[in-house]
Amino acid sequence: MEKLVYIALFAPLVSSLFAALFGMMPKKQFVGVVTSILLGISFVASAILAHYVYTTEEAIKVTLMDWIGAGDLHIPFGFVVDQVSVTMMTVVTLVSTVVHVYSNGYMDHDKSFNRFFSYLSAFVFSMMVLVMSDNFAGLFIGWEGVGVCSWLLIGFWYHKPDVSREENPSISPSWAANEAFIMNRIADLGMLVGLFIVYWNTGSLQYDEVFAQLPHLSGSVLNAAALALFIGAMGKSAQFPLHTWLTDAMEGPTPVSALIHAATMVTAGVFLVIRANPLFSMTPEISYFIAVLGTFVAFFAASMALVNRDLKRIIAFSTLSQLGYMFAAAGLGAYWIALFHLAAHAFFKALLFLGAGNVMHAMDDELDIFKMGGLKKVMKWTYLYMGLASLALAGIPPFAGFFSKDAIIETAFNEGTYILWAILVVTAGMTAFYSFRQVFLTFEGDERYKKYGFHPHEVYRYVLIAMSPLAILAVIAGFFKGSFEAFVTELLPEYHMSEHTHHLAWLLGLVVLAFAVGGIVLAYKKYAKGLKRDEALEATWYYKLLANQYYIPNLYEEFISKPYAMISDIFWNRVDMKIVDATVDGIAKFLYGTGDGARRMQTGNLSNYLNWMAVGAVLLLAVAAISAAIIG
Amino acid sequence: MFEPIKVSLESLNLVTLAPMLAAVAGGLLILVIDLINGKLHKSFYVMLTMLILFIDLGATLGLTLNERGFFNVMLEDGVAIVSQLLIIVASMLFTPLALTSKRFHEYSYPEFFALFLFMVAGFQFMVASDNLILVFVGLETASLSLYTLIALHNRSNSYEAAVKYFTMGALAAGFFAMGSAVLYALTGTIELAQAAEVLASRIDNNALVLTVLGSSVLLMVAMAFKLSLFPFHTWAPDVYEGASAPLAGYMAIVPKIAAFAVSIRIFGMYIDLGVEWVREMILLLAVVTMTIANLMALVQEDVKRMLAYSSISHAGFIMAALALDTTEGAAGIFLYYALFMFTNLGAFAMLWISRHKVRRFNARFDHPYEKFAGLIHIMPMGAVIMALFMLSLAGVPPFSVFWGKIYIMQAAVNAGLVWLAIVMGLNSAISAYYYLKLIVYMFLKEPVKDVDTVYYNLSKPLMAVIGLAAVATVGAVFYVEPLISYVYFMISASGY
Repeated sequence: MEKLVYIALFAPLVSSLFAALFGMMPKKQFVGVVTSILLGISFVASAILAHYVYTTEEAIKVTLMDWIGAGDLHIPFGFVVDQVSVTMMTVVTLVSTVVHVYSNGYMDHDKSFNRFFSYLSAFVFSMMVLVMSDNFAGLFIGWEGVGVCSWLLIGFWYHKPDVSREENPSISPSWAANEAFIMNRIADLGMLVGLFIVYWNTGSLQYDEVFAQLPHLSGSVLNAAALALFIGAMGKSAQFPLHTWLTDAMEGPTPVSALIHAATMVTAGVFLVIRANPLFSMTPEISYFIAVLGTFVAFFAASMALVNRDLKRIIAFSTLSQLGYMFAAAGLGAYWIALFHLAAHAFFKALLFLGAGNVMHAMDDELDIFKMGGLKKVMKWTYLYMGLASLALAGIPPFAGFFSKDAIIETAFNEGTYILWAILVVTAGMTAFYSFRQVFLTFEGDERYKKYGFHPHEVYRYVLIAMSPLAILAVIAGFFKGSFEAFVTELLPEYHMSEHTHHLAWLLGLVVLAFAVGGIVLAYKKYAKGLKRDEALEATWYYKLLANQYYIPNLYEEFISKPYAMISDIFWNRVDMKIVDATVDGIAKFLYGTGDGARRMQTGNLSNYLNWMAVGAVLLLAVAAISAAIIG
Repeated sequence: MFEPIKVSLESLNLVTLAPMLAAVAGGLLILVIDLINGKLHKSFYVMLTMLILFIDLGATLGLTLNERGFFNVMLEDGVAIVSQLLIIVASMLFTPLALTSKRFHEYSYPEFFALFLFMVAGFQFMVASDNLILVFVGLETASLSLYTLIALHNRSNSYEAAVKYFTMGALAAGFFAMGSAVLYALTGTIELAQAAEVLASRIDNNALVLTVLGSSVLLMVAMAFKLSLFPFHTWAPDVYEGASAPLAGYMAIVPKIAAFAVSIRIFGMYIDLGVEWVREMILLLAVVTMTIANLMALVQEDVKRMLAYSSISHAGFIMAALALDTTEGAAGIFLYYALFMFTNLGAFAMLWISRHKVRRFNARFDHPYEKFAGLIHIMPMGAVIMALFMLSLAGVPPFSVFWGKIYIMQAAVNAGLVWLAIVMGLNSAISAYYYLKLIVYMFLKEPVKDVDTVYYNLSKPLMAVIGLAAVATVGAVFYVEPLISYVYFMISASGY
């Protein structure tokens, strides 16, 4: 089993290094094939491990080597494969494999085909380190690793020039990449502080040792650690107010959006909360805060998705919204439900993104859904896939999203937090509306694309086949809810609905369903027959507010970026150039000048040299005499 | 009537003389062979010289520690043996460089090799005695041979260099003789061991302060000249420039090792006797030398002159170790040279591979920085190796000179002179500038197009020597530990 752990972990690394060998070369088709196969191997290994853990109910722990040993700090390079990590591993490798195969088609015409696969596999390796590590330090390495890969991949088309915010809200790929990285760095500072607090108070970073120590710690320490760690999670999972980077990250190639910015990396924050559940369950205030923030983000992101016209941004907002659901569940103590939604969401959200990638591919990278419509005639399969994924996302039974999301909403009711429950129910309706607004505007109604001169076509068949596992899982994943619960609650705390909730479950489900179906029906009425733009509505202040993302990006620019640039400018011109640089230059000039002066004694004239010797002798004599007189 | 003097052969203990005798006899042999057959190829003499140096090395290694011989004039203590070994090894590195692919004037004379061996013998006499007369004789033998070797390079600035060196050397010799005379007047002996005893009993006599002062200052001037310490260094850049590149590299090491061995004996004695101002004097010389030479190296436009100033700066650095007067300090001197030797000879030899008869780049200089511009494109391996030498000279770990620097700085801290270690560190930082300047030229600049660079002096032996130097530079981390313990053992065994 130990070998399988290493295979699952290192196959993506090998894949990345292999692709990197050809990084600077023109496209080599075999690079895409070999990396896909290696990722497939990693998936198979993960699946076998999952089966092993499922049947034996015991975790596998391996230690690769002693990594850091300094004083009292001992951090082995250790990995643990337990119920939680093996779930993540399976989800990550499965989606990654599909995305790798998909990318063979999607990146077909890209100059940097090989480089893309190198980055993508490197991301998977980092993600595996993140989820498999048995200590916070390894988690943090993976955490930073996925951050770097995300930066590389968002800015993959770094050559595109910056444009104004009106023209493109995310300005340019390299701008978006930097934004994502910097936002994450801010959050990572919180994470680091959390790790320091943990280490300071428990003397270890190993999960099991830390968790064993927790009951001995004071409440304030626990609260501080939980809050600091959650700040880290907020960055990676793009929770308000650090959410702006996620929609801008859509500048990356679409497979990247599917893998990193929907299915895996952004869920790392949720994973952290789940992984550190002993800590969070001991800090009810922080957990409640997480639930409230999650609920707020779910609603907040869904509201922005209602009016957006950008195909990928709508899905990105829905990702944000679903992450909010996950945090709501985790914050309310239903960790296994959060993990279940995480897994289910990974499948249908990746599918949705890949479908969007197909549409983009067909529409020559056009993303405005107002310019599409009627695509179902040429893209039957993509329509089917995206329709399925949207049904799952909207929470329509029997698709995956119904089971997982409904459980979260039920949890909110069960905990007696009725306000959260109400918001989540309304959000479910909004989710259904914007998902199907998007689907109908893209695939149904009049063929507006003809006006703009597009010639859409379906993608390669093998790409469609590659997407099928995700489609199947988006449909059936929900049926495994019972066995999944049994599996992960071996490790995670159990969570049961109260008798009262249990009785009302069918009614609660019906309410949610009513909202979801209502959303779909509304979308159908408004958009299925074609686009009729409502000028009056679009002119209202609230429409504009939503369309401009509540003006938060502008706010950040005016109140953070610009003042920061101003201060930097002052420090550069006034402090660095005039004081620091001038001092250093002054020293250098002084030294150089002294050298130039001393050089004059080198006249080349022998008599001068002999004179110098005599002078030197006299000087030495004087020095000796003086020091003899002083010292005695 | 005088009684005939009877001396038994055993009491002479001729073994102590064996290394020098090997070199002298070898030199004479070369002259005799030349008399018999004047048409032999230079490679024969090179090989013969190498052979003789091997015998010399063997004889040195075979010496028993702390033996005296030849009327107690010879003293083969640890200092003598270690410095002789360094001198011979450096000479063995230098000799194969004569096997250049192009014909050079000096190497076609067998006298070159004979003089070279006499010079080696002279240095060996210098270090293997505490008798000031023998030291003086050794010094002059070596110096006179060296002057001639420089002049044999057969260019106008070689003659100029030789004459300058000779004239200033004569003045220094005068200082040495006068210093010895004053010491003799003071103690009635010219053997340092006995002089120390006599001085110890008289040191408190205030009336004698002036003579102690006189003797130490006069001897100091003579040694400072040999060690090219500021302001007695003026000859060095001119002479290095006039001499051939390998000989310049050689001069930066071997004469200085010999002079340091003598300095340890003489000034160590003064400091041991509690004459604190000798220490002050040395510290002052050391600090001024390393700083001023560094600053002057900064403004040089010629790589060879830069290397000349840099080796002056290194000498100042090592001089500071002398002031410590601890076993660690004395061991540091030899350790530093053992490590510095390969790097410095390697760097000078790298200049030798691009030797031109005419100055192609600059009317004034042979090796201006421009000549090395873009060397990475012309000669990638050469550029990398030269860069290694530069990094080592700058004291970048883990290359050889770094260990020498760190050892001496540590010795300074252990001796309680923290400020000295700081000054050394600062100077190393300044020196990095001009070493890195060459690296910048080699790696980051485009070659000068309008002047073609012909690297024609590349021969197998040259490559072998440079390769050896590069290996010794890079691999220092592996042998520095045993080297330290060997040198430390030898130095402590001889009581310093």
